[in-house]
Amino acid sequence: MKKTDRNFGIVCLGLSLWLILEGLRWDYTSGFTPGPGFEPFWLGVILACLALFLIFDSFRRKDSKDDNKNAFPEKKALFRVALILIIFSGFAAIVETFGFELTVFIFVVLILYFLESYKIGKSIFYGIAFSGLLFLIFKYWMQIELPHGFLGI
Amino acid sequence: MEYLQSLLQGFSVVLTPYNLWMATVGCFLGTMVGILPGLGPSATIAMLLPLTFGMNATPAMIMITSLYYGAKYGGSTTTILLNVPGEGASVVTALDGYEMARQGRAGAALGVAAIGSFFAGIVGTFGLIFICVPLAEFSLKFGPAEYFSLIIMGMLTIVFVGGKSITKSLISGVLGVAMGTVGTDFVQGAPRFVYGVTMLMDGIPFVAVVMGLFGIAEVLVSAEEQMKMKPIKVKFSQLWPSVADVLESKWAILRGTVIGFLVGALPGAGSTIASFISYGIEKGVAKNPERFGKGAIEGVASPESANNSACSGAMVPLLALGIPGSGSTAVMLGALILYGLKPGPMLFAQSGDFVWALIASMFIGNIILIIMNLPMIPLFAYSLRIPYALMYPAIILICIVGGYSLSTNVWEVWLIIIFGAIGYVLKKCDIPAAPMVIALVLGPMMEYALYQAMNLSHGSILTFVTRPISATLLGIALLMTIAVMSKTVRMKRAMLEDDDD
Repeated sequence: MKKTDRNFGIVCLGLSLWLILEGLRWDYTSGFTPGPGFEPFWLGVILACLALFLIFDSFRRKDSKDDNKNAFPEKKALFRVALILIIFSGFAAIVETFGFELTVFIFVVLILYFLESYKIGKSIFYGIAFSGLLFLIFKYWMQIELPHGFLGI
Repeated sequence: MEYLQSLLQGFSVVLTPYNLWMATVGCFLGTMVGILPGLGPSATIAMLLPLTFGMNATPAMIMITSLYYGAKYGGSTTTILLNVPGEGASVVTALDGYEMARQGRAGAALGVAAIGSFFAGIVGTFGLIFICVPLAEFSLKFGPAEYFSLIIMGMLTIVFVGGKSITKSLISGVLGVAMGTVGTDFVQGAPRFVYGVTMLMDGIPFVAVVMGLFGIAEVLVSAEEQMKMKPIKVKFSQLWPSVADVLESKWAILRGTVIGFLVGALPGAGSTIASFISYGIEKGVAKNPERFGKGAIEGVASPESANNSACSGAMVPLLALGIPGSGSTAVMLGALILYGLKPGPMLFAQSGDFVWALIASMFIGNIILIIMNLPMIPLFAYSLRIPYALMYPAIILICIVGGYSLSTNVWEVWLIIIFGAIGYVLKKCDIPAAPMVIALVLGPMMEYALYQAMNLSHGSILTFVTRPISATLLGIALLMTIAVMSKTVRMKRAMLEDDDD
C-alpha cells in the first residue's frame, strides 16, 4: 500500500499542477467576486499539499497490516477486469450501429462464454433472455428511447 | 398539529396505486440488489436510479427512498447468511448474525433484523419530522455567507464519511470539487476544462459519475474472481423468528433506534459509526457480555436497528439544509437536483407537498418492507444462490441504459465506463468515493454562495466571520477539524471499515 500511496500521490501532484496552471489562465478576480480562475488555482494548491503529505507519509510511517498487502490483485484477476471494461467499451462503440437488443445479446454471450466459462448454448440462451427482458422493461414498461441500429429494433 | 396535517396530506399523495407500486418495487429491487455481496446502499441506488427516469419527481423519490431502505435490509441478509457485509454498517452485525446462522438460528437473526429495522425506520421517521421541520425553518435565515459556511462545514464532515485515512478522504473531496468546476463558469461564462468538447459545457453529469464510481467500480471489484457464493443452508421451517426471540431483543432494538437516529443525524457520522456505538453499548449493558460474538440476538438487533434509524437521521441534514451526510444521501441529493428540486432551506417552503409525500413514503416503505420481508425471507435467502456471473452483466446493462437515457447519447455511457475504471483504481488505492461524490454536488453550490456573499459584501471576506450564524458554523467546522486531527479520533477511525452508506 505504501508504494500505491506514493504512486497515487505523484498522480495527484500532476493533477494539482494542471489545476494551478489552468487556474492561472483565467481571471483570479472579477469585480468584487472571485473569478473563474480562483477555485481551480486554490484547489490545485490544496491538492498539491495533500499529495505531498501522502507521499511523505508513505516514507515516514511504520508498516501496517495493509502496507504488506498488494493493493491490486494478481494478473489473472486484473485481466478479467480489463476484459469486462473492453467488452463494455465495445458495447458503447457498437450500440448505435447494431441497436440495443442485438448489442445486449452479443455483450451477454461474450461475458458468459469467454469470462464465465458457460457453454455456448447456455450463453446464447441467457443472451436472448437478457435482451428480451431488458427490452420489455425499458422499452415497453418505462418507454425509454433506446438505439435502434441497422435492424430497426 | 400542523405537522400532522401536512403528514396526512403527504399520505394522501403516497397512497395512490401508482406510488404504492413504486414503493413496493423499490423495496423489492433494493433488497434484491442490496443482497449482492459488496454492494451497499450507495451502489444500489446509483445502479437502479435509471429505473426512475421518465417518472415525476414524487414517485421517483418514493422509489429511491424505498431502494435505500431495501438495500439496507438486503445487506443484512448477506451479512447473516454469507458473513460478507455489503457495507461498513453491517460489519458488526456479522459478528453475531453469522454465528447465529451457523447455529441454525438464521431465521431468528434475519427476522429480528427485519423487525428491528421496521421499528427503527418508523421511530426514526417521526424523529426526522420533529427535527427537520424546525431546522428547515431556522435555516431560512441563512444568506449566502451562512450557506457558504454551512457547505464548508458539510465538506469538512467528508473526513468522517470517508475511509480510514483523513488525507485520502480530503484528496477525494478536493478532486470532487475540481470535477464540479468543469463546464461554463457562471461569473464570466468562461468554459473551464472543456477543451472544445461541447458535451462538457454543462459540466460532468452527476449520474454518470455516481453510476461509474459506485455501480460499475463495485461490479469490477466483485468480478475480479469467478465468485462462487455458498450461503449457509437453512431449513424452511427455521426461517422465521420465534416470539421469544423478538421479546428478548426488544430493549436492544429500542436502544439501537435512539442511538442510530442521533448519530445518523450528524452530518458525516453515518450508520457505520451508529452500528458500532450501539453494539458497544449493548455489550456494555448486557448481563452476560461474553455471549456477544458467539450468537447473541441483541448483537444483531441493536446494530441493525441503529443502522436503519441512522438512515432516517441522515435525511435530516439532507432535507433541512441540503447537505448530504453520506454517500447514499449524496446520490439522493443528486437525484433531487436531477428532478429540478433544490434541497435545502427553501425545499419545505417551495415544495412542501413533495417533502411531506417523501416523508410519508418513508413510513409506507418501512411497512412494505416488513410485510414483504418476513414472508419473503426464504426467497431472499435463496436468491443468494443465483450465480453472480448472471447478476453483474445485468447490473452493467442497467447502468448503460441509465446513462444512455439521460441524453439519448452514447457519450454518457462512455463517461460511466471511464468513471467505472477510475472508481476501480480508487478502490484499490483505498480512496473513498463518497467524499468525491458529495463534493461534486456541493462544490458548485459553494462557489455560487461564495460569489453571492462576496458580491453582497463588496468584496469583504470579513462577512463570513462578522455574521453570527456564519461565524458559528465556521467555528464548528474548526472545532471538528481539531477533533478529527486528535490522536484518539484517528485511532478510532482506523478501526472502521470503508463506509458505503
